Amino acid sequence: MKNLSIGVIMLTTMVLFSSCQSQPGLGLNDAASLHSRDELPENPLLLHAITSGVQPKDSTMYTLYGNDAAFIYAGSHGDSSYPDGAVLYEVTWQQQADEQWAGAHVPKKIVYVERLEYAADGQATYTLYRGTPLKKAAAANPALRAGVIAGQRMAVSP
Amino acid sequence: MKKKTGIVSLILLAIFGMLQFFRPEKLSNSPAGDLAGIPPAVNDILRNACYDCHSSQTNLRWYDQLTPANYLVYSHIRDGRKVLNFSKWDSMATPAQNSALYYALNKIMEGEMPLPAYTMVHSGAKLKPADIEILKKYTFSRTPRGKTDTVQINMANKEYVDFIQGKLAPVTKVAPAPNGIDYIPDYRNWKVMSTTDRFDNGTLRIIFANDIAVKSIEQHQTKNWPDGAVFAKTAWKQQVNVDGSVSAGAFWQVEFMIKDARKYAETAGWGWARWRGDKLKPYGENALFATECVSCHQPMKDNDFVFTKPLNLLIPTLQNK
Ligand code: HEC
Ligand code: HEC
Repeated sequence: MKNLSIGVIMLTTMVLFSSCQSQPGLGLNDAASLHSRDELPENPLLLHAITSGVQPKDSTMYTLYGNDAAFIYAGSHGDSSYPDGAVLYEVTWQQQADEQWAGAHVPKKIVYVERLEYAADGQATYTLYRGTPLKKAAAANPALRAGVIAGQRMAVSP
Repeated sequence: MKKKTGIVSLILLAIFGMLQFFRPEKLSNSPAGDLAGIPPAVNDILRNACYDCHSSQTNLRWYDQLTPANYLVYSHIRDGRKVLNFSKWDSMATPAQNSALYYALNKIMEGEMPLPAYTMVHSGAKLKPADIEILKKYTFSRTPRGKTDTVQINMANKEYVDFIQGKLAPVTKVAPAPNGIDYIPDYRNWKVMSTTDRFDNGTLRIIFANDIAVKSIEQHQTKNWPDGAVFAKTAWKQQVNVDGSVSAGAFWQVEFMIKDARKYAETAGWGWARWRGDKLKPYGENALFATECVSCHQPMKDNDFVFTKPLNLLIPTLQNK
């Protein structure tokens, strides 16, 4: 009888404990995000997504973001003559295997961020940020990169 | 005391014997060959661990045939064959074969397949890490990044021109999904939650989150999403350029998960919907299509059925500059 009541108490405690213990869930992908010490003038991840792509030879993936002016322009023009005030950000991540799905790569860590800002004369200022934290850095060929970034098409959505 | 247990055992045995007159409806059984074009090592793995329930050939052991166990075994086999039948391999197009293999691989890696109830009894069907590695290597080898042919490039070009000229936008109301869910047109204005490079089926994906979902991300509340949270996942064909880089090609589909724990209680608390192609054709024959979505998202049940780990969007020092 005594054994039985001890058993019942143990069983109840176990049930109680197991119901309180909840799985943590996946949480956020913090490592692939920006961080408070990154020296960027704004948070590009909050802008509109224009398109995204992969550079398999470097195992990187990128998303091209734009502010309102850039986003509206990219959705209705096939050229790269962005208007005054348009800002584009290409954020490039190192890739990692998706732990949740064998068959996919997801962002691991930001390798560099490139920023293009357009002025009234149609000229764009290119800035490169790299390192941890992200800081302004010298670019090997800013004109080439600016052309590649501005030349990207918006990914189509009907 | 001893005599009493003896009698009880006898009665139980008699009941068990009588039960054997009740049997489930017979299963069809016909030989299932090896999967064409697949290495023997991979065929052996699938035959050994999966064929009993996912092919026309079921090799039942005597203990599977005893009532009442056989009712459960037979229902597993019937359900298993319905969702995935390797005997139909030859009639499947290559992309369908690839997605079946990737789906199989992922169900194995999550420990959902072979069914644990089955491996408990058939320990020989348990897969060893080395087996899983063989299957994974082979499956990955089937989907190298191909080249995009000119026909596809031309189609994507035309679609793009229509898009920037505003000719792609639907002129009439987009038909709702078969479960009654209406199309949500403004997802492109939402924030990006993350992106994926799906080399299994050659697509690029952007996953968008609406304002309610973004607020939850900012508060790190991503284990149980609040009612009203919506995700939109867009997929584009990967376009492989001459320099090997990959960009977003033709629009493939957009799909949604809409959280409403009460309204969508039957489908894991989410409303599921998908529209295919630039004509936005609703996906699914009838409302049951959503079971397909839930089945594949099932391994994420401890994460509210969501696969994607969101990027952290709230970086106070970078906000409102
Ligand atoms: C004892 C029977 C049994 C065995 C053995 C078994 N399965 Fe299954 N499988 C099922 C049943 C039943 C379902 C459908 C219900 C469910 O999802 O639980 C299923 C579902 C699946 C699905 C999901 C299909 C869908 O659309 O829902 C996949 C993929 C799968 N099995 C792969 C495998 C693989 C790969 C193996 C071998 C490694 C395997 N199964 C072994 C019974 C089995
Ligand atoms: C074969 C597996 C599979 C099936 C079937 C499936 N999904 Fe998913 N789904 C995924 C994976 C894997 C992801 C993670 C993102 C990625 O890698 O594309 C995902 C992500 C999503 C997301 C983004 C939120 C999240 O969970 O990460 C939405 C929305 C979504 N799926 C909707 C649907 C809808 C609607 C259906 C049914 C019409 C469906 N899915 C069927 C595998 C599947």
